[in-house]
Formats: sequence, C-alpha cells, structure tokens
Amino acid sequence: MSTDFLELRNISKFYGNIIALTGVTTTVNPGEVTCVLGDNGAGKSTFIKILAGVHQHDEGELILEGSKVRFAHPRQALAAGIATVYQDLAMVPLMSVWRNFFLGQEPKTGVWPFRQIDIDKAKRIAKEEMAKMGIDIRDTEQSVGTLSGGERQSVAIARASYFGARVLILDEPTSALGVKQSGVVLRRIVEARDQGLAVIFITHNPNHAYPVGDRFVILQRGVSLGNWAKDELSQSELTQLMAGGAELEELQHELAESSAN
Amino acid sequence: MADTTNDQSAVAADAGGDERLAHRGPIQTLLTRPEIGALLGAVGVWLLFWLVSAPFGTVGGTANFLDVAAYLGLMAVPVALLMIGGEFDLSSGAMTGATALIAILLANDTNGAGLGLHVAVPLSLAFALAIGWFNGTLVEKTSLPSFIVTLGTFFMLIGAKLGFSKLFTNKVLVEGLDEAEGYEFWNGIFGAEWLRNSHLWDVRSWSNLWLVRDEMWALLLVGGVVTLMVGTFELTYARRRSPNVAAMVVAAGGTVLALVGLILLLAQDSTASNWIGGILVAAGVLVGVAGWCRSRYETPDRSERGASARWWQYLISGVAALVVAMLVAAVMDATDSSQLGFLSGSFGKFVFALGIALVGVLAVVAALGRITPGYPALGAVLVALPSISFLVTVQAARVILFGGLALLGIALLWSTARRVQPAVTVSLAISAVIVVLAFFIQSESASRKLRVELFTVLLLVALLLAASAVARYLSATRATAPPPPQFGRWMHVCAVLGVVGVVVFAVIELADGDGILYALLIGAAKGGIVGFVAYAVGTVGRTLLTRDEGVGRALVTVGIGAVMLSVATRLMFVTGSELETICTVGTDGELRCPQTQFGVVVLSFLIFAAVGSWLLMRTQFGSWIMAVGGNKEAARSVGVPAARTKTTLFMMVSGAAWITGMLIAFRLTAVQANVGDGNEFRYIIVAVVGGNLLTGGYGSALGAGIGAVIWGMISQGIGFAQWNSDWRFLVLGALLLVAVMVNNYVRSRAEKAPTASSATRPDKTEITIVVPAEPAAGAKEDQP
Repeated sequence: MSTDFLELRNISKFYGNIIALTGVTTTVNPGEVTCVLGDNGAGKSTFIKILAGVHQHDEGELILEGSKVRFAHPRQALAAGIATVYQDLAMVPLMSVWRNFFLGQEPKTGVWPFRQIDIDKAKRIAKEEMAKMGIDIRDTEQSVGTLSGGERQSVAIARASYFGARVLILDEPTSALGVKQSGVVLRRIVEARDQGLAVIFITHNPNHAYPVGDRFVILQRGVSLGNWAKDELSQSELTQLMAGGAELEELQHELAESSAN
Repeated sequence: MADTTNDQSAVAADAGGDERLAHRGPIQTLLTRPEIGALLGAVGVWLLFWLVSAPFGTVGGTANFLDVAAYLGLMAVPVALLMIGGEFDLSSGAMTGATALIAILLANDTNGAGLGLHVAVPLSLAFALAIGWFNGTLVEKTSLPSFIVTLGTFFMLIGAKLGFSKLFTNKVLVEGLDEAEGYEFWNGIFGAEWLRNSHLWDVRSWSNLWLVRDEMWALLLVGGVVTLMVGTFELTYARRRSPNVAAMVVAAGGTVLALVGLILLLAQDSTASNWIGGILVAAGVLVGVAGWCRSRYETPDRSERGASARWWQYLISGVAALVVAMLVAAVMDATDSSQLGFLSGSFGKFVFALGIALVGVLAVVAALGRITPGYPALGAVLVALPSISFLVTVQAARVILFGGLALLGIALLWSTARRVQPAVTVSLAISAVIVVLAFFIQSESASRKLRVELFTVLLLVALLLAASAVARYLSATRATAPPPPQFGRWMHVCAVLGVVGVVVFAVIELADGDGILYALLIGAAKGGIVGFVAYAVGTVGRTLLTRDEGVGRALVTVGIGAVMLSVATRLMFVTGSELETICTVGTDGELRCPQTQFGVVVLSFLIFAAVGSWLLMRTQFGSWIMAVGGNKEAARSVGVPAARTKTTLFMMVSGAAWITGMLIAFRLTAVQANVGDGNEFRYIIVAVVGGNLLTGGYGSALGAGIGAVIWGMISQGIGFAQWNSDWRFLVLGALLLVAVMVNNYVRSRAEKAPTASSATRPDKTEITIVVPAEPAAGAKEDQP
C-alpha cells in the first residue's frame, strides 16, 4: 500500500471518563476532499482539535507522510502544513482585516530592536489574496467584525492557503451561510482541491458534502460509523447513515402519521 | 457627515468604480482612531483653563501639570496595553510604592539591610518583575479573572509594605535614601531635572542660534500647518493628469503674497502694518490654495445643487446662539474673580430640589418606556448648575458660557453648510462669523491674552476654514485611497541617522557628567529629532522630484511632526521676549532669570507613550496584544503564544511600576508605606478616557498618555483658576464622563460615515464604557 499523505488509525480521545471520540480511521490525500459528517455532539470538534494540535489523542496513531506525529501545540500543526478554518473562524472581530490575515505570522521589516510589521506589504497581500477569492475588500483597515459571514470565511480560507497549508480543515464552513454563499464556499473547496490541497470538510449537511467529497467519515456520538470512498456510497445512503438510518425512517413514519391526523 | 459620504459615493460611481470603495478622507480616518476623543478633550480642557487662568498657559504652569500627568501616564501606558490585552492589574498602584520601599530598606544601613543602592535598585527591579511574572502566570494557569488575582496581590503588597516598614523602622515612613551608598550615581539617573533655558537644547552646542530660541517654533508651526494642509489635500482630492501651468503661476503668486504679508507682520509692529500684513497673508493663502488646487486636482462635477429641507432651522439657531453668546460676553463682568454662587440662595436650593425631583420623575417615566432616557439628563443639569456655581469664578462662567455658545453657534452653522450644496458659500460665511467673533473679543475683552492671542488664533482658524472651503469647491474628491508612499531604502537611512543621533547625543550628555538614563533619554529625544528632520527633508525632496502618488501620507506625517516639534520647542525654550519680562537685574548688575524645571519623569513619560504606541501599532507584539484581548482562543489557534504575551504585559506593568517607584523615591528620598495605593484605579480611568476598551481588544497607548495629560490639566488647572478646590473631584468625575462620551460619540459617528451598511460592529464596541451615549439617534437624524 502506498503511503497516504495523512493517515488516522483508530484515533480516540477521552475527557476523564467521557469518551469523546473512538476508533476514527481515515486517510487524507492531496487533491482530495475528505468529508467528516456528524450531528451535533458527534465528536467533530474533538476530531478537528486533535488534527489542529489544540488537543492530543489518547489512543491510535496520526501518521503524516509515513511518520508518526503528535501535535503538542497549534503552532506545530501549522508548521506541518495543517491549517484549520474554525467554525467561529478564529478571527478577532475588533481587529482589521490585514491584522487578522497575518495574525501570528506577521511579515516583518527592519533590524532588531526596530523590527516592525511591514504594514504596507501586509495590506497589499491581504487585498490581493482576497481579490483572488473574488472579494473586493473595501479597505483592509476595516475591522473583521464589519464583514459578512461569507467574507469572513473567505478571509480565513485565503489566509490558510496563502500560508502554504497542505491540509486545509474546514469546520462547518457552510452552516452559518445563506444558500448562495454556501455555493461560493463549496466552489472554493473544489478550487482548493484542484490546487492540490488536501481538504478535510466537516459538516452536518450531506447535501453539501456529497457533491464535493471524495471520501466520507461518519461520526455518531463519538463513534466512527465507517470510512467510505465516494464510489462505495450513494447520496441517499449517506443521508441515511448520517441521520442514524432506522431512526430517520421512524421519524418519517411518525411525521406522516401526525400529518395524516 | 452623511452628505460627504454621498458625495464620495457619487464620485466613485461616476468613475465606474465599486460604490463600496468610498474612500475615507484622512480626517475621517483620523476620527476613527481610539484616542481622537481624548485628544479633542485635551485641547478643550487646555483652552478652558488657558482662558480662565493666568498662569496655566505659561511654561511654569505646563511644567506643573505635565509633572502630575507624567507620574500617572508613565503607568497608564503599560496599564492600557495590559487592558487591551484583556487583563487588569490592580496591584500596579501599590507596586510603585513597594519598589521604592524595598530599594530604600535594602540600601540604607541605619535601619535597613545596608546593601547600598548598587545592589538594592536592581534587586527591587527583580522583585517587581517577579511579581509581574507571578500575576501573569497565576492568571494564565488558573484561568481566574485577573481582577481577583491582582486584588490578592494588591492586599498582600499593602500588608507587606506596612509590616516591613514597621518591622525595620518602627515607623510608617521609610527615609534615608540620600544617606545610602551609591546615591550620587543613581540620583543622576532617577533624580535628574533639566532647566528650561539651559539644558535640552543646550546653548553650549547650539551657540548663538537665537533664531532657534525665538521664532523657530513659529516658523516650524507655520511650516507644519502648511505641510499638513497640502498632505490632507493630496489624500483627499483626485490628482489631475497634467498640471495646469497658469494656475501654478497663480499659486506661486499667492505664496509670495502670503510670505510678504508674514514678513510685514513680523518685522513691523504698528496697527497699520498689522492690518496690511494680515490682509496680505489671508489673500495670499486663499489665492495660493485656489491656484494649487486648480493646477493639481481634478475639477469636481458641480451639477448637484440643492439643499435639504431643514437647513434654515440650523441657520437660525446657529445665528441665535452666536447673538446670545455676544450678549453674555457684553453683560457679565469680565474682571470679577469672586465665586459665582448665584444659585447659592433659596433660589439655588429650589433649583437643586427641582432638579433632583425631575431626575427621579423623569427616570421613572423613562423606565416605563414613555420617553427616551435622554430627558432625565435635563434634571441632572439642574442639579449640576448650583454645584458648579460654587466652583467657578464669574470670569470663568462668562468664558465658559460665551465659548460654549459661540462653539454651538459655529457648529450649527457648520451643519447648515453640510445641508446646502455646494456648501462653499456657507463655509466662507462661517469663516466670516469667526472673524467677527474675533474682533468682538478684541474690543470687548479685558484680558490681554484674549485680545491678542485668542484673537490671532481665531483669525488663523477662520483663514484655514476658508482655505479648506475653497479647496473643496475647486477639487474633486478622490475615489480610492492613494497608495502608500514608496520610500525603499530611504526609511532605513532615516532610521540609521536617528540611531546614530541617539548614540552621539547620549555620549555627549554622558561626557558632561549626567546620569546614564538621563543621557539616554536626552539622546533619544535629540536623535529622534535628527531622524525626523532627515525624513522630512527627504519627503519634501521627493514631492519636488517625483510624481509619487503616495506622498500625501508622508506629508501629513511630516506636518504633524513639525507642529509637535514646534510646541515642544516653545515649551523647552525661553524666548527673547519672555526673558525681557521675567528676568531682573540684580544689585550687582547681573541678570537673574527664574528657571522652569522639568523632571526627568516628563521625558520618560513622553518616551514611554511614544514607544508604547509604536509597540502596539507597528510591531508583531502589538498585534498579539490586541488579538489576545479581542479573542484569546482565536489568537491561540493561529499560533499566537497567548500566555507568554499576557505574562509579558504583566511584567511590563510591574517594570513601569519600578521606574515610577524609583522616580518617587529619588524625588522625595523618603516614602510613606502607603504611597501609590489606590492609584491603580486612576491608571485605569486615565486609560479609559484615552479611548481604551475596558473589555480589551481595542485601544491606544498614546490615548492613555493623553488621558493622563487631561487628568493633570484638570487637577492642576482648578488650582490655577482659583476655583473652589473642594469641588475638584466633582469636576474631575464629570469631565471624565464627558470625555468618554465624546470619545464614544465621535468614534461611532466616524465609523458609520463611510458606508450606510457598515454599522455592524461587534457588540463589544457598542458597550464601550459606562455611559450609553446615543449616537444612533443623532446620526439617524442627519440622514437626508
């Protein structure tokens, strides 16, 4: 078997006696979108935080390019090329667009002790990168809090791809967006994939996941239901699995009855 | 403000651009800075006390309030940075006293450890940093609110201070710093003072530069204002493709005319020459600005004409306010310096009671939702009136009433101007009104200061307003922001020159036998000026040699720098005319001149404010401070070391507390055990007045410095103005609230201005501080 770029083997995480995540296995490869689906409380957030270095896994193995890794800090994950776009977007709303774009990795100029941020460069790059995503930022000095949800998302994605991410983790990027903006973000995911990025797309919406995904992992109450390639699964099967299969049928049944009454 | 936006969007749309790309003019951008409210407040407070008290405007008065401000500001700057980082340090006040106490107790050998100051001073620094580290680490490790943690440290420090001073000396006063070993050396660092007419710009090295001492500041001021004006034009108006040569000749002619007028004003001192000179300057400036705008900027599209419905209401109320202002000035006795107290009798008590009743009733009605909460404020005014009347003198009341009404009138007229298109005629009318006011003051006022100085200032303001109105009429607003100036290596040259200057000047001072810190501070001040001059020369050179679009921003920087330098020069130097008035010839025929002293604390404060601002605005650390204060989890997740950033901030605060403690110790040589306790709240208040958000994530270090200056001006100014100082804290509190409200209001207005839909700032900004000002209602009213 050829080595996968990033491989997860039976990853588990416990918070005290609570099992947050157990037995997650999947692979992530450049040019592919791996979708992680699950309802609220399914363990998606824990999954992301392990990959992003916020938490560490208790069992299992995380294999990056053939060697075992364990990220002790978000910076280590970033250095390994794993960038995460969080649900709350990991943005500081009171800070300007360019400061958010470069937060943690500011371009610097001058010699110590006069080292300062190269503000003009930072503003220029932020504007350019946002323009590449089709968003014309009025003024990079404006605070992120004034942007719309889709624009904020774009700042986060643009930031991740600009800083040379090889794996892009998107946490529920479409959940807060309208229909049109969701479409834009999905297109952006495909673009990122085509550029050779490995994308991990976390969502609870199978309709968003199926069109763009190459591989699907379904989580339910911390347990992995399985790991499928796209050709092993149809959209309706995905929806079924996602909603807990039998439970959904039961629900449909109940609803049909109640509407009949 | 709303109208301007429309203008700009219209222009942008004409140019085929995105209408959202409405370019913010430099003034609008400036208005969104957090410290702008504090800056305006500081100017207002300064003007008020300058008008009502004789010694306030003198250099002695300035040294006096700057001293108070410096001790506060030295701490307020790092406290503000910590606040932006989302934390508080309640132990900061007690810490200043603790370091002083430790240094003395460790150094002194009569009733201390007898280690000498060479050991004691560094040890007290180590102690301060350790406490800072302890605070920061504890806050980070336990995730407890810093309020609680530092409250603990605060009480521990107070207890330890009292306990140790009683233990060692059996007194609450620890003394004898000047007997300790190494006092001379350390006093050179922390106890240094400079005399106004001998030190900072010493004649030893700048011999015979009388021009520098006398009129240099005026030339710098004029140059700075002109540069600032041109820079603002560059940033605001759209450059035309090829310059109009004929208009350029007109501009040159205007400049020559203005210069001739200026020379006439300076060279001769008679009524006739003043009239001719003044008119020449005014005409020259207006012609020059008109020519410059015609030659350099696009002609605007003047098809839009018309006025909004209510413009005449503003016009009438504006004129009415001005008339009442003049009546007030004419009726009230200007020379009466007794306390006002006109509401002290039974009428006063009645008004007071009525006010309280009104506040109560209206507050209940407001709570029931019947009226807006603004009305109870009316009752509050009735309560405040008798209180204030005990405080101020008749003279001051007249100045306040007259000034306030005149400002109101001008503001109302200004609103009229914004409602009429094109507004140039109204703008010119406002200038004319200000000229009339100036001449009224000249004929009416009993004080020379008002007749001469305020008169001149008002005429200059009127001229600047008229010039900007002419420029706005002749030039089209630019649609997009100009690119940043491209300086390349030039900035490095300036920086290197500055650093070399710092080193050279510091060595010179050191060779003169001054302390190290003092030499470094002076070196930094002078070296900074060298760097600035290099920058200014280079920038102006570039304007002449290239057609760099980004030059406007550089010009604005140079202009602000020159104005500041001018003010500093004025304060640091004795001028020739001043010498004539203050010096006396002694019996032995020798000239005796009183000296104004500035403590080294003032210089440290200024450098702290500058470095703090640079740190926050320009460095990676500054970005991290704002990030950990704004959204700590987000900052951590993108790789900002949040814990280290916060701990560093706590250590910066305690480090500054050490410097403050040393300055106090070397000034007094003996300290009380409770010195500094309670000051932590002043630091926080001052930082808030300076525009820092209590909840973190937003603010300005410079603002905290300005806040400290406001505090110093008010607390000293009340004494200077011979007001009843029993009421001092009432005024301080009220003015602080006003400062914060103005700050809030200005910022929310400025932020709403650029686009109609950009008012969706996150919740945090709305709740800024204490007072729920109502900018929304006022702003809505302005929408056409």
